[in-house]
Amino acid sequence: MLKNHFKISIRNLWKNKTLSLLNLIGLSIGISSVLTLLFSVYAYYTADEYIPEKDKIVYLKTILKDGNNYREVPYPLLDQLVENSTEVVAGTHMHGWGNIWLEFEGRDFQKETSYANPEFFEVFELPLKYGDAKTALKEKYSVVLTNKVSQQIFGDINPVGKTLIGADTLNLKVTGVIEPISPYSSFRLGVLLPNTILEDNPIFKAQTNWSNSFSPIFLKLRANADITKLENQVDQLLKANYDDIATIADIKVMSFEAMRTNAIPVVDIIITSSIAAAFFILFIILVNLLNLNTSTMFSRTKTIAVRKVLGSTKRSLIIQYCIENGILVFTSILLSGFLFLSINLPRLNDTFGPEFGQISFDFLEDYPVVIGIILIGILSTLLVSVFPSLRFVKIPVTMGIKGKLQHIKHNFIWRNSFIILQFSIAILCISIAIILNTQIGYMKNADLGFQRENILVGHIDLDYKNIDVAQSKFNALLNTLESSPYVKSVSTSQSIPSDYYFNYSTYSDPVQNTDVRMRRSYADDSYLKTLEVPIIKGRHFDRNLDKADDHPAIINEAALKAFGWESIEGKRMKFKGNEESGYPIVGVVKDFHYQDLQNAVEPLVHIFRDRKRLEAHRFLTVRVQEGHEAAIENILTSTFNSIDSRKTYVQSRLADKVSGQYLLIEGILQTVSITAILAIFISSLGLFGLISFSAKRKVKEIGVRKVLGSSVSNIVILLSKDYIILVGIATLIAFPIAWYTMNLWLDSFAYSITIKWWMFGLAAFIALAITSLTLGLRAIRSAMANPVDSLKAE
Amino acid sequence: MIKITNLEKYYETEEVQTIALNKLSFEVKEGEFAAIMGPSGCGKSTLLNILGLLDDPDGGSYLFNGIEVAGYNESKRAQLRKHNIGFVFQSFNLIDELTVFENVELPLIYTGVKPAERKERVHEVLEKMQIMHRRKHFPQQLSGGQQQRVAVARAVVNKPKLILADEPTGNLDSTNGNEVMDLLTELNEAGTTIIMVTHSEHDAKFSHRIIRMLDGQKVTENILV
Repeated sequence: MLKNHFKISIRNLWKNKTLSLLNLIGLSIGISSVLTLLFSVYAYYTADEYIPEKDKIVYLKTILKDGNNYREVPYPLLDQLVENSTEVVAGTHMHGWGNIWLEFEGRDFQKETSYANPEFFEVFELPLKYGDAKTALKEKYSVVLTNKVSQQIFGDINPVGKTLIGADTLNLKVTGVIEPISPYSSFRLGVLLPNTILEDNPIFKAQTNWSNSFSPIFLKLRANADITKLENQVDQLLKANYDDIATIADIKVMSFEAMRTNAIPVVDIIITSSIAAAFFILFIILVNLLNLNTSTMFSRTKTIAVRKVLGSTKRSLIIQYCIENGILVFTSILLSGFLFLSINLPRLNDTFGPEFGQISFDFLEDYPVVIGIILIGILSTLLVSVFPSLRFVKIPVTMGIKGKLQHIKHNFIWRNSFIILQFSIAILCISIAIILNTQIGYMKNADLGFQRENILVGHIDLDYKNIDVAQSKFNALLNTLESSPYVKSVSTSQSIPSDYYFNYSTYSDPVQNTDVRMRRSYADDSYLKTLEVPIIKGRHFDRNLDKADDHPAIINEAALKAFGWESIEGKRMKFKGNEESGYPIVGVVKDFHYQDLQNAVEPLVHIFRDRKRLEAHRFLTVRVQEGHEAAIENILTSTFNSIDSRKTYVQSRLADKVSGQYLLIEGILQTVSITAILAIFISSLGLFGLISFSAKRKVKEIGVRKVLGSSVSNIVILLSKDYIILVGIATLIAFPIAWYTMNLWLDSFAYSITIKWWMFGLAAFIALAITSLTLGLRAIRSAMANPVDSLKAE
Repeated sequence: MIKITNLEKYYETEEVQTIALNKLSFEVKEGEFAAIMGPSGCGKSTLLNILGLLDDPDGGSYLFNGIEVAGYNESKRAQLRKHNIGFVFQSFNLIDELTVFENVELPLIYTGVKPAERKERVHEVLEKMQIMHRRKHFPQQLSGGQQQRVAVARAVVNKPKLILADEPTGNLDSTNGNEVMDLLTELNEAGTTIIMVTHSEHDAKFSHRIIRMLDGQKVTENILV
């Protein structure tokens, strides 16, 4: 019987070749995107699964009265908590202190470096590929590597016991290699060193008191620990010891799992939208299959009746239909797996890899995804088979055998609601894509308050092996550049637009006693001139007038406003609480967008620093005459490549750096656009199938109408008008939703576009154009048919 | 074999009630070949549907082999039907997706016959219908006469006690029509009871008895043999 079912299913699919192909294309593309979205969500959620007992691991989150929050706590807090709290089983610091240079057999490596206590492996019981976790960080001069770093340095061998030279002076013994970690993991681990190694560093030592918060801590709690009790203990310890307690609003014990979403808030949006997109696409393809199946059922009532006459049961008929759809769905799943591995996954890695890490798919390890997609396949098959067939196997044999269907209620309410919903989703995605695209375009092309074109940026913070040699070559380069007719201006600075440190300090005006929290950066005398940022008060830095030791400062308008100054004459500002005479304000620049347009322009101060101190600057910026960029780039690259350094010289253009700030949003745009294209494409495939069927069913009606004098266009309208109306209704549903959600989203940008009617107009036009085209093509074919043939067909 | 007494069937639409069978009574004995005649709309097809257990009467009694089957539910009817009754339709009603062999095999699958036996029985019946050479063809590749021979083969493959034929020659030319009538006669001579609905006086002459109907009632009954 089963063999018979399969045989008939395959013949049926073959008989309706066009329809099967439409379904196969729609399903394969749809399921491959569902697979991609679900896999990335899965990879994200399971990234920390390998950490044993992670539900017992917590960290502390300090919330300030000004609304900011951070994970860092005063250094001595950890020891106190471990010693005094009954809730805590073990604890470790984990912080950065610059990425250490490691040398092995003459090759240098610099990887993400973290410093932790020996108890690190008690808190995070990460499996070690080589070495013993209990002792790995006990010795002062030991180093633990991740598997990836170990392979980069040592290849495939077990490196435990080998020695790496750290920071030119330290003999570090490799004591462990951590098993591979998911790139989505909360850990950005590379090299792990014992905290004790930093104790020789006086700057570090000076910070390890109750006055500074610089080190995040992680605690392993006992089973069923009392979180409130722990929070109270933290609170008491801080109240007793911490100097700046008045600034703190609250300290919360946070689960380790919360750390990730806290670190990159946009992740939540991406994950939620991915799940929504997967759900939408799945919904659309299922609706297509459901609607098309219902339509094909009309042409099968007779076969169903004949089978029943010959003794078939209803169950057998439904099974037959399930098998037919199952073949279609599971063939699509196979094809979609191929699409996923060969196209979607590499693309996903291109888009989100730089931010979240590269992911790969492994059949054995990622079996839940495989099982999930098979379950989706089975459920979808049942859904799209059982519902339509149930309705049709109920038709009495006596009616079915004659093909009399007039008594079947043409219940189009469900079908039409589904079509409306499908197109609402498609149009919603199109609208969102249009609005996103406009916003990105706006941010990329907005007047930023500086001239970004024709500026070359050299990253000159390269860890030079011999600073004196490097400095002399750099001086020579500066001379060459300054005398070049193609160079308009040259400057060095700590920051460039798009790359300012989160370097906030509170400054005060000693006269008026006003405090302003602002960012600080260092720049030479021509940095602001090179960017062509206009001065609105005072003057630019001047190397003949200004001395670096005096710390002359140029603030931006936002800072001027924050201080409440009318004029800057004689104004100085100093670090809050500092007794020195402070920084003289020599000028005010017009506000310029030194970060992306999601953020408002915050108060900013530039402090003068001598151009020629190579090691004091991170960037070299050169404004070049248009058309001569390449020549100057060559000079820069060849000079820096000739200087012995640990890092490789990177050359870029300011305009690219500025646009690059929107890579993540552009990634989101790309995902939305693909979803939009899929949604409209698959929905249109569905309509194409439906109109094909109604055209087939109405062959006689069309013939009669033509005999009675109807024109081709009348018939095209007859066949397609109902569907066009449905798409019209869908636009009306989609627009307010798009308008509302996108307004909410745009509110998170300091600078945003206003949503205009044409954006919806364009979305509606795209949707209607595509559906009209799809419907029109099929309808015209039917309308052009010779009525003699149409009438004979009955 | 078949005894109906005061059989009634109504069709209702929103406005009118049509009486399709009006207290109809007659009997068909085992081994008989009966023809039912009458103008369009007289209730012939309705009668055949009820006799074939495809439909349920609204009143009266229907004894099939002495068992009252009026009031049987769909699954009981199906059970009885697939073991005892074969159908031949005017429009053949072969399944387009299946070959000649598979069409004929289908009733055997539904009655749970083993594959080896199925093959044997299908071959046997195809030989008898002289259509063996066409067993791998699909219905649309056959002439009307050939298609009806396949339909008859399918109707008899399960060795039913009763064959119901609804205008079996209606879509055929006279040569092919006569061939089909000869086939039915042969089957009847071999012991199968046949009830045939027809418009054709010519075909009716092949039967033993003609029941004439009008407006859902029996008007005359002519015994031919």
